[in-house]
Amino acid sequence: VTVKAKPDALIHPITRLSICGLLAAGADWVEFAALRDAAGISDSVLSKQSRVLEDAGYLEVRKGAVGRRPRTWFRLTPNGREAFQAHVAWLQQAARVRPEDAGDTAAPAPSAVPATNDRG
Amino acid sequence: MTDDKQNVVELELLRAQRSRLADRIRPPWWYLTGIGIGYALVFAFPFASRFLGVSIWPFVAAALAVAVPLQWGWTRTTGIKMGFRNLSYPGPGRPARYAVVIVSLGAIVTEHFLIDRGLTAAAVAVAALAVAAQVALQQALLRGMRQELQGGGGAA
Repeated sequence: VTVKAKPDALIHPITRLSICGLLAAGADWVEFAALRDAAGISDSVLSKQSRVLEDAGYLEVRKGAVGRRPRTWFRLTPNGREAFQAHVAWLQQAARVRPEDAGDTAAPAPSAVPATNDRG
Repeated sequence: MTDDKQNVVELELLRAQRSRLADRIRPPWWYLTGIGIGYALVFAFPFASRFLGVSIWPFVAAALAVAVPLQWGWTRTTGIKMGFRNLSYPGPGRPARYAVVIVSLGAIVTEHFLIDRGLTAAAVAVAALAVAAQVALQQALLRGMRQELQGGGGAA
């Protein structure tokens, strides 16, 4: 199955790209702490960015508890997975095709993606 | 930094993060011990069936009593649920999944064959080898999971 390369403004910020990339890596569900540690981000950043992805329908969240400790699990929805794969295909295409020798066949410039203020 | 270099950096970062996630798939001592106990119960069935007349159901119940808490503890420790992979699921762990089925069926059939011919010691040796093989195969399955996570599951 070929994936159509397409930038996604919602996934473009590096933190959300990391979250989606980790959830798309092959695991069914990933727990909050595992995702936070692998992405190298803080609790509050993960909470905030995961809520954005959840509101967009890209992320499914399951909350539970072990004893008194809350446990939150995440997974990508089919929409989220599709958007991530298309965005990564676009990233790969844009990285492969250097602007100076791409000519008219160049991938859409990353600057075409609406700027966000939460990169990194 | 130019945009194309930025994209390369982001893709590299994704790879590094996936490696960190994959590193969580490391079995604690109790996991492989539990796997060994579970398979020992499975391969003890031909003996119990022949010498004690025990039906298969107590063994199924005992194996589940080991497997369910083991899987729960494993998921809790790693923070990763991989989901069920059947034999047709493509990926690095596929040969090991086939081997698990072949070793299980082969060992049980061989044990029955040897017990019926009075070769109990040989049957015990087959059971012990099969348990060791299953523990080794479980490690191969975990390696496959790590490779799958590192590779991005085809996502990137």
